[in-house]
Amino acid sequence: MTMRGDALAGDRIGSGLFEGVRRRPVILGAVGMVVLAVAVVIGVAAGSVAVPLGDTVGILAHRLLGLNVTQTWAPSAETIVMDLRLPRVMTTLVVGMGLAVAGATFQGLLRNPLADPYVLGTASGAALGAAIAVLIPVRTLIFEFGLLHGLAFVGALTAVTVVYRLSRISGIAPMTSLLLTGYAVGSLLAAGLAMAMYLSGSGLRQIFAYLLGGFEASSWIRLATTTPLILGATALIATRARALDGLLLGEEAAVHLGVDVRRERAILLGLAALVTAAAVAVSGLIGFVGLVVPHVVRIAVGPQARAVLPLSAIYGASLLAFADVVARLLGEIPVGVVTAVIGAPFFLFLLRRARTGYEL
Amino acid sequence: MNARRPIRRYSRLLAPIVGLALLASACTSSGPSQVSIPPSATGSTAPAATGTPSPAPTLADVFPLTLVDDEGTTVAIPAEPARIVSLTPATTEILFAIGAGSRVVATTDFDDYPPEAVPLPDVATFASVDIEKIVGLDADLVVAGGNNFNSPDAIARIRSLGIAVVVVYAPDVAGVLADIELVGRAAGETAAAADLAATMRVTFDQVAAATRDLPKPSVFYELDATVQIYTAADESFLAEMIELAGGAPLTTGSTTNFEISLESLVAADPELILLGDAAYGVTAEQVAARPGWAGLQAVRSGAIRAVNDLVITRPGPRLVEGLRELAVAIHPDLVLPAAP
Repeated sequence: MTMRGDALAGDRIGSGLFEGVRRRPVILGAVGMVVLAVAVVIGVAAGSVAVPLGDTVGILAHRLLGLNVTQTWAPSAETIVMDLRLPRVMTTLVVGMGLAVAGATFQGLLRNPLADPYVLGTASGAALGAAIAVLIPVRTLIFEFGLLHGLAFVGALTAVTVVYRLSRISGIAPMTSLLLTGYAVGSLLAAGLAMAMYLSGSGLRQIFAYLLGGFEASSWIRLATTTPLILGATALIATRARALDGLLLGEEAAVHLGVDVRRERAILLGLAALVTAAAVAVSGLIGFVGLVVPHVVRIAVGPQARAVLPLSAIYGASLLAFADVVARLLGEIPVGVVTAVIGAPFFLFLLRRARTGYEL
Repeated sequence: MNARRPIRRYSRLLAPIVGLALLASACTSSGPSQVSIPPSATGSTAPAATGTPSPAPTLADVFPLTLVDDEGTTVAIPAEPARIVSLTPATTEILFAIGAGSRVVATTDFDDYPPEAVPLPDVATFASVDIEKIVGLDADLVVAGGNNFNSPDAIARIRSLGIAVVVVYAPDVAGVLADIELVGRAAGETAAAADLAATMRVTFDQVAAATRDLPKPSVFYELDATVQIYTAADESFLAEMIELAGGAPLTTGSTTNFEISLESLVAADPELILLGDAAYGVTAEQVAARPGWAGLQAVRSGAIRAVNDLVITRPGPRLVEGLRELAVAIHPDLVLPAAP
C-alpha cells in the first residue's frame, strides 16, 4: 500500500525527520483540540439572534458551572444558548466524529480511497427509510425522535446487513464483492427512493431536507439518545486499530499478523455501520466529512489506524461544527453544502502538496 | 464450521439493535401519545378540518384554553398570546383579518399580504424555520402550516421549548373556514373570527347560488407549464374551488399528483384555460404558440383567461375574492351580487 511512500520517507530518516513524523500525531491532536474548542465557542456565541458575549459566558458559567452570576440577560437568551445552540454544537461534534471515524474504517476495510460511510448502501437505505416514514402520517415522538429518524436508522442498518449477506454468496474476492454488492443494492434502494419521492406529494420537501442533512432540530434529549451509540461504537472501533492496520495491508498479510480476518472485518463493518446509521438518523445525509477527513489525516500522519482514528475523530468533529456555524449564519443553508465548499478546496490543496506518493 | 462464525457474531451484534429500533418504530405508531384525534375526524390519516365548522362553545375568549389543531394535537395556550409568529402566508392573512395583526411579531420571507405584514421580521423560508429567532422574539404562539408546509421536525422542536404551536391545514374550503375559527380561538379573537367565517360563508353561498343553473364548462387551470404541466389534482382544494365557481375542473386523475401529460390534456380538450401562472408572465399568445396546444378548442375559441392564483389557492380570508374572480373568469357574463 504505502511501500513507495515508506521508501521515499526512508531516505530522510537520518535527518531526524522520522522523529518529527512520530511526534506529529500528538501535535496535530493538540492543534485539533484547539480548533475544536474554537468551533464550540463560536458555535455557542454566534447565531441569528445576537446574544452579547458577556451574557453567553454568564449563562454558561451560571448553568454549567453553577456559579452565582447576576442575571443580566433575558430568559430567551438562556434558552437560545442552553437549549438551542449548545445541544446543536454538541450534536455536530458527535456526528462529525462518528462520520469521520466510520469513513476511515470503511476506507481501511475496503482498501478503497473512494469509500465513505455511505458506501455500502447506508445512505440510500436511510434515505428510503426516511422517505417511507414521510409517506406514513404518524406524528408520535419517542425521545423527541419521530418515525422518520427511526426508519432512517433501521433502513441504514438493514441495507448494510443485506449487502453484507449478499456479498458472502458471491465467489469473487470478498471486498470487491462487498463494494459491488453495495453499489448494486444502493442503486436499487435509490430507485425506491425516487419512487417514494414521486409519490410523496407535499412530503417532498421534507424528504429533500433529510437528504441535504442539517442540525436545525437538535436537542439535549436527541443528543443523549444518539451519543452513547456513536461514542460507544467509535470507541470499540478504536480498540481494533491493530486489526484495521492488518486488514489495510491485505488479507494475506493480516492473517500473518494473526488477525482473524473474517471476524474482525464483520465486527468493524458492523460498528462502522452502526455509527453511520446513528449519525444519519439524527442529522440526515451529510456528505464529505466521512470521505475527506480521513484522507487529510493520512496525508499528514501516515496510514496507522492508531493515529488516523483519533485524529479523524477530532478533525471530523471540528469540520462539521465549523460548517454548521457557517450554515447557520448564512440562514440555515444545507450543512452538506458547506462541508464540501470548505473541505474540497482544502483537500485539493493538500493533494497537490502531498510530497510522498500518497496511496491508501 | 468456522466459516459461519463471523456471520453469527455479526448478527448477534446487530440483531438487538435492529430489534430495538423496530420496537421503537412499532411504539411510534401504536404507543401512548399526546396526540388525540378529534371525534369529528373520519380517520387517523386525515384528521384535518371537518365538513362543518366546529361549534365554538362560547364566543368569549377565556384563557387558559386548550384546543385541538388540524393535526389532532392538543395545544394548551396559557394566556392570551401577545407575541404571535405566523409561519405561512395564509395564517398571516387570517391573523390580520381577525384583528390580531398588531400582535404578530414575525412571519415568513415570502409573506406578501397585507402590506403591514411584509416588513415584519422573517423567521421562516420555504426550506427552514429559524427556531432561535422565534425564541429570541419571545413568541408565545406560533401558527404553522401542516401537511409538511413547515418542517414537522421544527414544529416538534418549538413545542419542546414550551412554545404553543397551532398547526393548520385545510384540505378543502370548509377547512379554511374552520381554520379561521381555530386561529381565532388561539389568538383570542374568537368573535371576530366567527364573524369573518360567517361573512365568507355568505359569499360562498352567493356564488354557488349564482352559478347553480349555469352550464359547467370544462376548465383546465394551469398552475405551471414551464417544463411539465401542472393542474388541479382530484379532490384537491383547487378542484373544489373551480366546482364552486361553476366549472368542471380537468384534474390529473390522482389525488396526490398535480402533473398532467399533454396527451391527457389534448384528449380531455377543455373548453376553457385559466392561467394561474399569469403572474409569472404567461400569456394567452404564449399558450397558443406552444407545440401541440393549437388544436385545443379553448385555444381556437380564444377562451384563455388570466386569473390571480394567489387569492384562488391561498387558504386564507381572501379566498372569497378568489372564488368571485374564478366564477367571473369561468362565466364572463355572470353578474354577482355585491360582497357582504
